Amino acid sequence: MKSIFYNLGYFLKEVKNIMGLNLLSNIFSIIGTGLILFLLGMVVSGFTVSNRLVNMLQEEAEISAFFNKNVDTGERKSLVEDIKKIEGVLDCRLIGEEEAYNRMKEVLVEEAHILELLDKNPFDAFIEVRIHLDQIDNVLDKVKNIKGIDYVRDNREVLGKIKNITEGLKLLGFLVVAAVGITTIVIVSHMIRQGIYNNKEQINTLRLLGAPISFIGFPFVLVGLILTFIGGILASSLMLFLINKVYGEMTLLPFIPLPPRAELISSIVILIMAVSIALGILGSILGLISIKNLEHNN
Amino acid sequence: MIEAVNLSLSYRDGTLALKDVNLKVNSGELVYIVGPSGSGKTSLLKLFMGIEYPTFGSLSVLNQPIKKGESGKIRRMRREIGPVFQEFKLIEGRTALENVMMGIRFLGIPSKQMKEDASNALERVGLAHKALSKVENLSFGQCQRVAIARAIARKPSLILADEPTGNLDHENALNILELLTSFKEKDTAVIITTHATHLIQNERDVTFIHVEEGNISIERRGELK
Repeated sequence: MKSIFYNLGYFLKEVKNIMGLNLLSNIFSIIGTGLILFLLGMVVSGFTVSNRLVNMLQEEAEISAFFNKNVDTGERKSLVEDIKKIEGVLDCRLIGEEEAYNRMKEVLVEEAHILELLDKNPFDAFIEVRIHLDQIDNVLDKVKNIKGIDYVRDNREVLGKIKNITEGLKLLGFLVVAAVGITTIVIVSHMIRQGIYNNKEQINTLRLLGAPISFIGFPFVLVGLILTFIGGILASSLMLFLINKVYGEMTLLPFIPLPPRAELISSIVILIMAVSIALGILGSILGLISIKNLEHNN
Repeated sequence: MIEAVNLSLSYRDGTLALKDVNLKVNSGELVYIVGPSGSGKTSLLKLFMGIEYPTFGSLSVLNQPIKKGESGKIRRMRREIGPVFQEFKLIEGRTALENVMMGIRFLGIPSKQMKEDASNALERVGLAHKALSKVENLSFGQCQRVAIARAIARKPSLILADEPTGNLDHENALNILELLTSFKEKDTAVIITTHATHLIQNERDVTFIHVEEGNISIERRGELK
């Protein structure tokens, strides 16, 4: 450790030499790593946005319970109280015929005049129940079995589909993370091996002089770290540009619930830089196995 | 400092480089390993450096057994040795000073002290004025001196020099030998391989290890007798 501290200047010079020996390859490695990390950033952003959408929809998950026409006002209130007691129910409210009619008017907007052609309000009163999506089966069973409830409508199918898409994105995310990890490690370790090969004579001499592997390998770890770090900066810059562009376009589609821009940018940048540093160190260490192989020749 | 008991070395191709070697080298001793080319001199030095392992018998250098499975400890042992390689093993593109410093960078010496030690070593071999010259711009003899400076800057317990007089004219060869033997101190042993026996025939207080076809014989002169 002391040796590393006393030789910081030497290590930086070594890094410059190692990178300079294969400058073009190193530039391509940086671009390659940057694009791979950019891909990771895009998938994670997509997952973050869709996950947020699902969470919001889950919070909005609700079912509508329709009751028998013979149920009077008092019994309706009692039904609401009974439903509120069921585990998994967040809130429960009685929607009268008039409110149901007004809601449809809001949905139809310009077509709402159709409703005026009808002689009487065709909408029934119902009980709107907000629930925990995870407990939808339990709540549905219990609500259906309450005396006076005729029919229960749920949006489970839609929620299920969105959930499946998110699960798919999650799986894709894991696959991309694995692919990014493996590819970056392969690129970095290959560059380190090449650097070691180019500096074979120097490494052999250092070994003969008794230099520890940590001392010989440290500049190569720094090179790996710098390659992926610059790649990370490149990927972060591209993500910054992309997120700003997409958010700019999304002002036209305000109903899509995007996470706050600054929050998304900072989390993606932190992720990309952390992954780039970790992969740089890991790739370099794997590449350093070549030094061990050189040892057998000494 | 060095102790070999019934030491033999065979290479993978079956060549028997050294046969049944028994020797002991003490601190402060000056040893010449002499013999014709290909007799096994360099093989003996490689064993002392821990580059080769004994096929039979045992070898211990600076209290470190030279055997398989001890590579970490052998690497640490090498830090106490000042090696002067036949082909110098200097790093091209670096100055003489940087090359000398290369030998002491991992010994835990503060950077200022490191530079001072390397400069002193270069001064001792008469190359202070070439400290900032790149080694590829130095003459053969100067490169040899840089290699010696790198060895002595480490303040080693043992100096191992492989054919330091090879390819040098008579006068330069004598100068190099004089320089190397001047490092023989109370606690530092100096071992030099050479086939130029005419340069050292009048040496006193030295040990000669004669190597011929892998067999050795030891001759001690002067007070060591």
